[in-house]
Amino acid sequence: MNTLESALQLVIDHGYQVLLLGLIVVLCVRKPDTRRKIVRVLLILGGLIVGAVFLAAAYGKMKPLQGFGWSWASVRTSLFWFAIQVNSYEILPPAAVNAVAHFLPYFELFLGLWLISGIARRFSALLASLAICGFMVAITSAYLRHLKIDCGCGIGPPEEVGPAALLRDGLKFLLPALLVTIGAFWIRRQSGAGDSGAAETVPSASATQ
Amino acid sequence: MNYRFRCDLLAIRFLRRSTALELTAVAFAALAMLSLAQAVLALPQASASSSTTTSAKAPAKKPALASRPASVESVPAPVKSYGSSSAPIKMEVFTDYQCPSCRNMFEETLRPLIQSDYISSGKVYLVHHDFPLPAHMYGYEASRWVNAAARVGQFQNVEAALYDNQNSWQADGNIAKYVAAAVPASDFKRIERLMVGCEFQGPAATKPASLRTGAQASHACALDGYIEQDRALGMKIPVQATPTYVITYKGNKLPAGSGFVSWTILKQFFDSLLSQ
Repeated sequence: MNTLESALQLVIDHGYQVLLLGLIVVLCVRKPDTRRKIVRVLLILGGLIVGAVFLAAAYGKMKPLQGFGWSWASVRTSLFWFAIQVNSYEILPPAAVNAVAHFLPYFELFLGLWLISGIARRFSALLASLAICGFMVAITSAYLRHLKIDCGCGIGPPEEVGPAALLRDGLKFLLPALLVTIGAFWIRRQSGAGDSGAAETVPSASATQ
Repeated sequence: MNYRFRCDLLAIRFLRRSTALELTAVAFAALAMLSLAQAVLALPQASASSSTTTSAKAPAKKPALASRPASVESVPAPVKSYGSSSAPIKMEVFTDYQCPSCRNMFEETLRPLIQSDYISSGKVYLVHHDFPLPAHMYGYEASRWVNAAARVGQFQNVEAALYDNQNSWQADGNIAKYVAAAVPASDFKRIERLMVGCEFQGPAATKPASLRTGAQASHACALDGYIEQDRALGMKIPVQATPTYVITYKGNKLPAGSGFVSWTILKQFFDSLLSQ
């Protein structure tokens, strides 16, 4: 693992713990203004964490295979390798496998950057939650069909589809995404219908409301 | 009555006033704690249970290479491959002849690959490795037949015959019938001679001869050494299930893949590799 992969893995492994800790702090705080401030800070953190999850997913699929340097051709080869992994789930026909394999990594890259940017966070977080749910449904389907395949979860070592992979994804991917989604919608409601989504991203500006 | 009604109203009002966040936060905190506890408790169980269902993990504890019959130590393994070993792409496939996914892989993907010009023109070198799973009663026996056939140069015919007729021989264990039909009579006689001492002796024969006990151990099958060589190779990867394949391009080994892959998808990956 290089430095980038180690950093992304660190965020994935411990990001949900930070959010859970923040949640406990939010529960302990009684003053509404302070609570809102903390939630806003947590939303920024949550956006970074969930964004990192998606960037790691995209990176894992696009990074050149061993022996290749970074180039357009090597990224294409990696995407064809990812198509083999998608194919092993035996859910989609070959044409759809190709479409998914070539679309999904770019979508994950876009979603990761969108989450980190904080623009209209509630929508990006909702989309992220739905995407993770879709992925978990695919894992469940493969597990129920007794397929012994690599789940392709993140950038870590290969992991077979099954309850352990589902638990890990639920805890490290879905839980932070759902927390950010709920928090973003809650803040939006607290701020009033007239506020724009961009206001959520600036704690100092929103604290003056 | 009136007092209780007022209490109910207060409770509803409280629920409305208490923020949705509080309730969801409590729910999530509980869920997270539950998940954490489950993760801690379930992970060792999951690995233990998968070691029983994913039969590939079971033989990992067995001293495969150490227990090889001495008779095959110095004998080179039979040729179980297609194409030229100097091809830029090498694809090694670990399979069990009784595994339905392996049959699908052979029929839908490997057969088109074998018949394509990727093999004949020296682009791809396809290597078969035996990885019989203990869960399959005749898997080990089938591997013995294929290894015997490979010793007399009939690997390709026998491999195809066993996959084509998997449903038939796995019902009664009569593998010899399909081997005989796939090779010339003279070759079958040679294969039969190699199979002396390797006859099926019930479920225990699914294990290597060296791991059997008592009377069974005296029927040491020399062909088991080849199978154990392949299995030891698979354990190093490690093979978790069959089929598992390892693709090497110009000496660079790619991560092992497992499960079915269609020929269309595999072909475009090969094309992409070759166009680098």
